[in-house]
Amino acid sequence: MDKFRSLVIVLLNSSFGISAIKQRLKKSKLEYLKILGIGAAVTAGFTPALLLYIQVLVDGFELLAPAGQAGAILTLGIVLVSTMIFYFGIFFVINTLYFAENIETLLFLPLKAWQVLGARFSVILVYEYLTELPFLIPPIIIYGVKSGAPIFYWIYAGIGFLLVPLVPLALATFLATVVMRFTNFGRRKDLFKILGGVFVIILAVGFQFLFQKSGPNAMNPEFLQQLLTNPDSVINVISRLFPTTIFLAKALVHSNSYNAFLNLLTFLGSSCLAIAIAWLVGGKLYFQGLNGLGEVAVKRRISNKSNFKQLAKVSSPMRSYFTKEIRLLVRTPIYFMNCVLSNFLMPVVLIIPFFLQSKNSQSSLPWEDLALNPKSQIILIAVISGITVFLVIVNSITSTSLSREGKQFFISKYIPLSYEKQIQAKLLSGYVFGLLGTLLMNIAIGILLKLNLDLIILIITITLVAIVPIIEVGLLIDIYRPKLDWDNEQKAVKQNLNSIFTMLIAAILAGSIGYIVIRYLETTLQAVLFILISYGSLGIVFYLILMSKGIAWYHSLEG
Amino acid sequence: MIEVREVSKSYSKGAVKALNQVNLTVKNGEIFGFLGPNGAGKTTLIKILTGILNVEQGQVLINGVNIKTKPIEAKLQIGFVPDDPNMFTRLTGTNYLNFMADMYLVPKETRQSLIPKFLERFDMASAVGDLIQSYSHGMKQKIVLIGSLLHNPPVWIMDEPMTGLDPKSSFILKEMMREHADAGKTVFFSTHVLDVAEKICDRMAIINKGKVIFQGTMEEIHKHFRENQSLENMFLELTENG
Repeated sequence: MDKFRSLVIVLLNSSFGISAIKQRLKKSKLEYLKILGIGAAVTAGFTPALLLYIQVLVDGFELLAPAGQAGAILTLGIVLVSTMIFYFGIFFVINTLYFAENIETLLFLPLKAWQVLGARFSVILVYEYLTELPFLIPPIIIYGVKSGAPIFYWIYAGIGFLLVPLVPLALATFLATVVMRFTNFGRRKDLFKILGGVFVIILAVGFQFLFQKSGPNAMNPEFLQQLLTNPDSVINVISRLFPTTIFLAKALVHSNSYNAFLNLLTFLGSSCLAIAIAWLVGGKLYFQGLNGLGEVAVKRRISNKSNFKQLAKVSSPMRSYFTKEIRLLVRTPIYFMNCVLSNFLMPVVLIIPFFLQSKNSQSSLPWEDLALNPKSQIILIAVISGITVFLVIVNSITSTSLSREGKQFFISKYIPLSYEKQIQAKLLSGYVFGLLGTLLMNIAIGILLKLNLDLIILIITITLVAIVPIIEVGLLIDIYRPKLDWDNEQKAVKQNLNSIFTMLIAAILAGSIGYIVIRYLETTLQAVLFILISYGSLGIVFYLILMSKGIAWYHSLEG
Repeated sequence: MIEVREVSKSYSKGAVKALNQVNLTVKNGEIFGFLGPNGAGKTTLIKILTGILNVEQGQVLINGVNIKTKPIEAKLQIGFVPDDPNMFTRLTGTNYLNFMADMYLVPKETRQSLIPKFLERFDMASAVGDLIQSYSHGMKQKIVLIGSLLHNPPVWIMDEPMTGLDPKSSFILKEMMREHADAGKTVFFSTHVLDVAEKICDRMAIINKGKVIFQGTMEEIHKHFRENQSLENMFLELTENG
């Protein structure tokens, strides 16, 4: 048991970087302030979304309470968290169990498969608790306070919080270990990661599709109520996937009764059972699935003429650097999923609701007169420029541009290509992908809303300009504080605060510009000119900063 | 030619002195070995020579060009092989060589004549089209070595270049180092392997705790100590007393 405990501690330490943080704190008191500041900024960044979530829950409670259905917001929260943990968990589990960089260092230690599996599982669990926090705590508190719940409710809720991730994670682990044992995907691990990711996204879009099909207005509380009472509703479909969540919901809603205790026990029992099965089966299959992972499929061929021909292809240094950026973005699964695919995925996901609503809804569409009414045109333009900014932030190509290089950043330092040109090439890669995604979005919106060509061209012009300052801010932040010390590509893009800082700044910029446009401007021309001039001048200012301060920061970075 | 004058470097805001007033001159036509125990400052100096770390104090001239004031011009003079050959592992060998050739402005004709020769010599022709990810450690080292030579660099700098190479490749590398030096260019490399240093270096320097404690030919080092001692013993004596 001691071996297991010390393995868990080491894995937790390395994955959260606890020793590294401790050492930094030891060095200077300023580090405390830095960490506090970062925490405050992140919290501030997420507050608007959290407030919106809380508002939806409060509205839901008030709407459902008269019918005695208020417990539904708890069920919804639990099912939402379980579903999320399951889908993200599959990724996380496969990444941590099979594709983490330090897999091989554990293989030669005298450890049993169940110990390694269990220890890695514990690390994932801790991450999932952190993910669970903002999604499950609000419904628990809102329901508890508003219904004046007894003390048992709070005790059960605390226990429930700890138990909720177990079943979905056990399921994810079970699936992952079985799939990895009986396939040879490992040899093509990059391809597998990309395919797996695309599969998960198709599922997510599929769910969106289902939601939309079930009713005209997905986020309308009436629709939620309908969902909860309709036996064929999506919630029921999902809770059938995690049937045990019903026990926790019942235990919480009727917390004062004896049955509640039994329900909680049932939930506890089923969670433990799920973990036991996953651990047992996984323990048997884990190491077998790991075999051959280090190998990469290769058939060595005698090099042919085309190979040599390719070798003689000359490009300018800047173009070559740009090509390298694009190649690494597309070929590294985690970068591809987060930075490339998200560009094309977001337009699709955002457009589906419009598309389905226009088919289902009987009444006249609210945007049909949009192109005719100048005020709604202005709002439309402001909203679309906001969406553009949002899309570009989400791909986080420039805000993780240096971070993605990690320990290989030294290469950028010794090659004879000026920092100025490297920065330009990095901006260009962000611009190209941002533009592809937003253009797709603009054209789709144009067609769906039946906008006239003039308006579509105006919107595209705005997009061309609005992308610029956003990618520049991202790159500036990443040059200022790149995250170069990581052992797993995931940490460079997913666990990188630079994306969040960029998001904050971009949200403030886009929000202020949008506010002025909607509040003060009267004609479409005014709106378009104002947006173009604001984003355009911000673009110039940030570019000048990049070319002065940015280059100086780049210079002072040491690989 | 490499000239290092009074170079100092410290980490953690001056708390750790990695290099302390280092002076070195490596002439053209010379293979220069850079020796020292772990953590002595070898990699730090190499990173300063190649522009990865900034020169805080002192001066570094590569073929007379100051790396601080004219970094691009100086970097173009250098071919560099880092100690970790895991470079752009998601590119193919071809992608990588193209990238390096583009960076160092290698003209088409040179690529056409040089690359096949190098690939043949290091037995890499059949693997060059594959992802670097699929290479063994030694193969990665070889592709990096080839990449560093495409522009026929006047100054060839290598950090532990023999690590991971099989005996044949290691032999070829030593041969190439000799050829490079004989063509009037500068070869500078760091190593732990004293035998290698003893056999192929024209001159060498030993660094310990950030200070160069000896610099000269094998003969000079023998004179400095008792005649019959092995380099290993002299090295141990020097670094322990340093």
